Amino acid sequence: MKIKNIIITFVSAIAILFSTSVVSLAKVVGDKIILGAAISLTGKYSSNGVHTQNGYNMAVDRINSMGGVKVGGKTYMFDIIYYDDESNPKRAAQLAERLISQDGVEFMLGPYSSGLTKAIAPVTEKYGVPMVEANGASRSLFTKGYKYLFAVLAPANLYLDVAIRTAVELNGGKGVRIAQAFEQDAFSQDVRLGILDAAKDTGSKIIIDDKLPKELNDMAATLAKVKATKPDVLVVSGHTKGALTAIRQIAEMKVDVPMLAMTHCDAAKLSKQHGANSQYALCASQWHKTLTYKDDFFTDGMTYDADFTKEFGYAPPYQAAESSAALLVFKDAFERAGSFDQKKVRDALAATNMQTFYGNIKFAEGGQNVDKPMVLFQVMCDDAGKCENKVVAPLKWASAELIHPIPKWSDR
Amino acid sequence: MNKNIILYAAILIFGVAAPFVFPAFKVQLSILCILIILAITWNVQGGEMGYNTFGNILFYGLGMYLCASVQVGMFFPLAEWTEGGGEKTFVHTPAQFFQGFAVGLAVAAIVPAIVAGLIGYSILGLRGHYFAICTLGLGVAAGEISGGIEIIGAGQGFTTPPFPKVGSLEARGEFFYFCSFAVLIFTFLAVKAIYSTRFKLVLNAIRDNEDKAEAMGIQTMKYKIIGWMISAFFCGLAGGIMGGLVGYIDSTDVAFDGREMGVFMVLMAILGGKGTLWGPVIGATVFHIFKEGFWTFFLGWQYVALGVLIVVIVIYFPEGIMGWLREKYPERFGEVVDEADRKAQVELK
Repeated sequence: MKIKNIIITFVSAIAILFSTSVVSLAKVVGDKIILGAAISLTGKYSSNGVHTQNGYNMAVDRINSMGGVKVGGKTYMFDIIYYDDESNPKRAAQLAERLISQDGVEFMLGPYSSGLTKAIAPVTEKYGVPMVEANGASRSLFTKGYKYLFAVLAPANLYLDVAIRTAVELNGGKGVRIAQAFEQDAFSQDVRLGILDAAKDTGSKIIIDDKLPKELNDMAATLAKVKATKPDVLVVSGHTKGALTAIRQIAEMKVDVPMLAMTHCDAAKLSKQHGANSQYALCASQWHKTLTYKDDFFTDGMTYDADFTKEFGYAPPYQAAESSAALLVFKDAFERAGSFDQKKVRDALAATNMQTFYGNIKFAEGGQNVDKPMVLFQVMCDDAGKCENKVVAPLKWASAELIHPIPKWSDR
Repeated sequence: MNKNIILYAAILIFGVAAPFVFPAFKVQLSILCILIILAITWNVQGGEMGYNTFGNILFYGLGMYLCASVQVGMFFPLAEWTEGGGEKTFVHTPAQFFQGFAVGLAVAAIVPAIVAGLIGYSILGLRGHYFAICTLGLGVAAGEISGGIEIIGAGQGFTTPPFPKVGSLEARGEFFYFCSFAVLIFTFLAVKAIYSTRFKLVLNAIRDNEDKAEAMGIQTMKYKIIGWMISAFFCGLAGGIMGGLVGYIDSTDVAFDGREMGVFMVLMAILGGKGTLWGPVIGATVFHIFKEGFWTFFLGWQYVALGVLIVVIVIYFPEGIMGWLREKYPERFGEVVDEADRKAQVELK
């Protein structure tokens, strides 16, 4: 009898599970436009996932409080359903399927990282669900002929291109010797391809070309080689952990290299975590607060920086800024489409041509943003040990002059 | 016997009707089938033979990469397909897609089986913990190695061919569901057939006392290798289908995902009951339902909830669900219990 009760409870629990999760939310309920997003709240990308989520939330609150989205004479508010993809592509693809077929979401925001975007894009494409993504920069995303994928950021191969060209320029136009180490993931490998192209163009030589594991926390072997071979440029890319590991071990091992180029310095809060040790690191960024772009919602970069810091207690890395921009793009497209028809919204997205606080946005055939250059900043510290990221390239926005070569550890 | 036929017919009907009754759950149902296959195959090795392996993820990942590579490589240059930032776009026609997938699946089953034979020959001499630790390394090594092979996309990952435009939007989901369901039935029947032969008894003998089995003249090594090859064959098939279903293969997160799939298959078999035919099936089903439920209702805490579930299983169901049922209702399992004898034994203790 007791067993029977347990079985009955168990079966009914399953039934309840199934029935509650079938509750279908249409894309637009009442005055709400519901967007779906799978975000890395746990796992190796969790810190960047949170930046992405904060960026989304910040823009949703701002747009809603400033009158929402006006479509066909009615006002709508944004709302987002989040799931945790655990930084795992398999999970992300499943969740995209779930958002679309179970939750009835008809418009998607992107996840964090190129790998996860690669996993989700085939699903959104199959269902014809427009997706504006802000954190998948891998070039191969834009060569698959996807029609419903739009990225507000510049492709990954351009990230450190400028750094190599600058190094060559400073070397009197002669090729430089490059040492590079990249994490084994879609994004970093694409950054690597960009460096290979730049090296070929400028006649530079790659003397170290290492691959680092995911979840990396040790690159001493690479750095030992760097110490022995003395390259002109050291390039490291491996998301937040890569940036932190590189700075930590370069300082520990006192590796002297004239130029150190990296990605994800601001997401890793390098200047805060490692202080003067991170000084002189050159970082690729999609955005910097001192850029002079403007829009009606966040005014400009400085205001966004102040508002974001007030709300979340830390300065916004570019991952947050580009995520906020994705919402602005969606709002603009909905209003121009004047409808919630997915096809019409998609066409409106394709015709986007606007300026946001984050930069100009205009999509190429493949969905990548072609109207926004990358910027390079350098971590610079004052005598009191307070460090700041200062834009050094392109010259149009430069707020400081590049310090090159990096002084030796013995002189610091 | 009659009861069994009704049961099988009911499961078959449910399986065929499920994607139409719960159209929104097709992907979850397909994954359920894959999980059951993995649990059944792990049980051949870990349950019946008593060789706890964490290495079956190797065959799963291998099958995944092989199936996708063959599917692309049959019609297009594989290197250009996976090249990072490649500028060319290749599109499979429906006929190419299905032909490629069929051949891919065949390769995804056969090659892992051969690999299992080769690896098994060298490491199946290890026993107990040593074997478990050794196989743990296999999956990790495979993930790192495949992450460095350019032709299968290396760290960039491998996007599998997109499903061709045939039929409705639902066609892709239905195709992969029926593929995984068919393979599940094939696996179940094959394993059931194998379990009714002397082969299973030999595996059990190895589990219970390998030295004694050898002393009785059984060539244990041969049986151990064959047992592992059978596991690998079906694991590879499951991997091949999963690759197509997910649409994107990453070396450590999707293919050689020892941290999730590799552990899940062990858990599911233990939850259902090691060394039984139905245990892994029940275990995988219960596990999958709980997992999906946790992911919906305990967002952010899903792994904590899953951890609690595992602790509860270990404490209250150490023998798994089947083992617990067997203890409660021994008559249902054809065991005759002599009440007087049982009492006498309790008193003896």
